[in-house]
Amino acid sequence: MNIYKHLKIIWMLLKMKLARTMAFRFTFFGAFFVDGSMFLIQILMFNAIYSQTGSIGGWDKQQMLLFIGTFSLINAVNMAIYFFGVITIPWKIKSGDLDLYITKPVNTLFHISFENIDIGSVPLIFASLGIIAYAVSGMNVQITFWRVSGYFLLVGMMLILYYDMEVIMRTIPFFVIQASSIERFEGEAVTLCMKIPGTLFKGAFKVLFYLVLPYGIMATVPAQFFAGTLTPAGFLYSMCIVAAFTAFTLAFWKLGLKHYKSASS
Amino acid sequence: MRKYIETAKVLFKAQLVYHFDILLTVVFTISKILLAHVLWGAIFENQDTVSGFTYPSMLSYYIISSFITQLDQSAGTGGQIAAEIRSGRFSKYIVKPMSIFWYFTAQTAGVSAFLLSFNLLAALAWIFIFRVDFTITVDIAVILSALILILLGLLFMMQMNYYIGILAFKFLDTSVFSMIKDNVVRFVTGSLIPLALLPAGIVEIMRLFPFYYVSYLPSMLLIGKNESEALAGIIILACWNAAFGILNAATYKNLKMKYDGVGI
Repeated sequence: MNIYKHLKIIWMLLKMKLARTMAFRFTFFGAFFVDGSMFLIQILMFNAIYSQTGSIGGWDKQQMLLFIGTFSLINAVNMAIYFFGVITIPWKIKSGDLDLYITKPVNTLFHISFENIDIGSVPLIFASLGIIAYAVSGMNVQITFWRVSGYFLLVGMMLILYYDMEVIMRTIPFFVIQASSIERFEGEAVTLCMKIPGTLFKGAFKVLFYLVLPYGIMATVPAQFFAGTLTPAGFLYSMCIVAAFTAFTLAFWKLGLKHYKSASS
Repeated sequence: MRKYIETAKVLFKAQLVYHFDILLTVVFTISKILLAHVLWGAIFENQDTVSGFTYPSMLSYYIISSFITQLDQSAGTGGQIAAEIRSGRFSKYIVKPMSIFWYFTAQTAGVSAFLLSFNLLAALAWIFIFRVDFTITVDIAVILSALILILLGLLFMMQMNYYIGILAFKFLDTSVFSMIKDNVVRFVTGSLIPLALLPAGIVEIMRLFPFYYVSYLPSMLLIGKNESEALAGIIILACWNAAFGILNAATYKNLKMKYDGVGI
């Protein structure tokens, strides 16, 4: 299939989703208000901490704000585009609803990922960009085209990594059916890593959040790049992680589909 | 009273069915302690005290605060009430010869009582794993005051979540409102950071509201700080509980008329 056809499918899925969402207008901007309040409180929390200290593990207040804004941006784009689609995978496996998707002449993972685009999360993207702009305005860095482009390239790469992690976690139910505890574990890990930059982790936790479950690099690497503290090795490492996890995700999903028994429970 | 104790007992026993979920809930308290360990470990590398806290007292604060927060299971009950109203299944509670609020409170108390021992074990495990030089007061009067505050705080959280739950009579879906509330409550109860880090003026205002006394003040009392605030805290929290009791009774009386028992 070509890109045009894929975009046409996304557009069609978006129109169908909008029609469904309009039935529950009260919750239309739900994700924006929920996640917006969460990041606002995180900013308040770090404001209070920075009133007592000048630096946290080498991160000053503006850099931390950039980190929070970056995670908020990654989270907002994730929520707007694929999160609400991907989270339905375990239920579709469990109930047997996946049959309907497998039989359609569209890539199953592509269809599920884009069928629940959430327009209500879009304002959070703009709010995140506002936080980033405010953070950058107080930083002592030269804003160049390459710096901005590199930052957004890394944000894009981390969005792919975030997607990979979400799909991996929700492919496990192909093998174990009930995997709610895995999702809870994912939730705890993401919440932890969105609160503190990955560079603060040490020892086993560094290995865990930089290699095994690389949530620790998601907002850290783009923020480090913009602040000029990312080493070439760090840049290369993050690229390799994204490539490796994407390859693994596609292979794991394929294996999961092969394992699918099409039996609801 | 006996029927409420029986309700609590049933829920206590029912938790045994969900033992894996309960175990995970307890194990996941590690994320809060780990956050505190990493974040405050980095801060205390450069200074010895922050707002009167040393590193051991800061970690002790987080362990106690996390323990108290885990005891509060009323958010789930609030969600359950809203879901039952939305689906039309709330009728089964209306026909029970019990006060609906106290029925749900007894349910939640049963769950919390079950979690109590597990949370205590988890707290001890985190103290051992993170090698925390644990700080706790030995003053019996202060410990007693903290326990009274914890109980009043749990009751207050139940009242607030019950209120949000019964708002489903009017709005049907209160999940968004409930999630925003959870985010705000985590901050204003001092679960994220000790409220002592906030500007003095803001802390003064927070003392007028109940959240200050739900987990922050009991945690502070148990690590041997803020003893002078205990009595005022108990009085203020008791007043808020009374006020919320009246609000809940009036709201339920008004909104239940909108309930059709059909569900969506």
